[in-house]
Amino acid sequence: MLGEFEYLLITAAAGLGDKAYGAAIREEIEVTTGRRCSIGALYTTIDRLETKGLLKTWMSDATPQRGGRAKRMVRVTPKGVQAAKDFYEAVTRVSRGASWVTNRTGRAG
Amino acid sequence: MTSTYWPLLEVAARLLERDEREAVLGDLQETGEGAWRGLLDVLGLVVRRQLLPWKNWQPWLAAFGLALPCSLLLMGISVSVSSIYQRLADNSILVESPHAIHEGFFQLFSRGLLLIASSWAGGFVMGSISRRTLWVSIVSSCFPCLFCLVRFREPSLSRLCLFLFLLPAIWGVRQALRLTRINLAFAILLAIAITTLVILPSSSRSSWTLSWSLIWPSWYIVATAQTDSGSIERS
Repeated sequence: MLGEFEYLLITAAAGLGDKAYGAAIREEIEVTTGRRCSIGALYTTIDRLETKGLLKTWMSDATPQRGGRAKRMVRVTPKGVQAAKDFYEAVTRVSRGASWVTNRTGRAG
Repeated sequence: MTSTYWPLLEVAARLLERDEREAVLGDLQETGEGAWRGLLDVLGLVVRRQLLPWKNWQPWLAAFGLALPCSLLLMGISVSVSSIYQRLADNSILVESPHAIHEGFFQLFSRGLLLIASSWAGGFVMGSISRRTLWVSIVSSCFPCLFCLVRFREPSLSRLCLFLFLLPAIWGVRQALRLTRINLAFAILLAIAITTLVILPSSSRSSWTLSWSLIWPSWYIVATAQTDSGSIERS
């Protein structure tokens, strides 16, 4: 099962699609959670997820707006999608009946 | 990002691997993050990268099970070799008995061989099992070296004789870092030679029983050489 930050990272990368790379994922996480995301946590988690086969990364071409430096592009693998889906379903299931959940049956609508 | 801090940040980023350095510095430049915060981010990543290998057993074994005790033992053998050589060189060994010179040459040969072989094997294992934490293993082996250097009280021998083991050990580390594949037959020969030299009756004096810990690296090389050849056969 994924950890909380792993889930956030996979979800952010999946949402960004072909534009998913270090800085973009970091910004997405910071904007959506309102918490600071350190580069150390980001890149070590990307490595861990890649080792587990949940992400695939590669270096892109260098771009001028980055001082001629390459990006580390990220793509979520089918296994990563499944892991994120499992995590989401587990969180949804465990949240049923919690006082802060608006729809306590857990059903959409 | 202020230009004053950028060179400092680039120096810190040199501790990262090339691709990661490119990605991280590019990210910082693109987002225009503050210099101090950027520096902390890079240092944080460096620390995480350095700590990561310590989740495994290999760095612990290399630093505290190999580098630390073996450097101590190898310094003992280095002094022993130097002492025998000096006794042979100034003929003082002849005072002991007429046959002592033959025994002296035999001891010089066997201990010299043991010194070279076990230093090389130790260095090779240290380099192969803890590539990313090699600097910790090196620091770990420096402690006994400094300890012995300070306490060395043998007027007839130079303090440098403590470090005879360093040359073959560094050679072994270099071989490991170059990913040199060890032939199984050579590995077995090396292990048998070291084991035999350690258990030789002539070399079983005083603290030589401790030298058993010099044997395991050579058998580790045999075990990994076997694994490599096994994986080739399987593939």
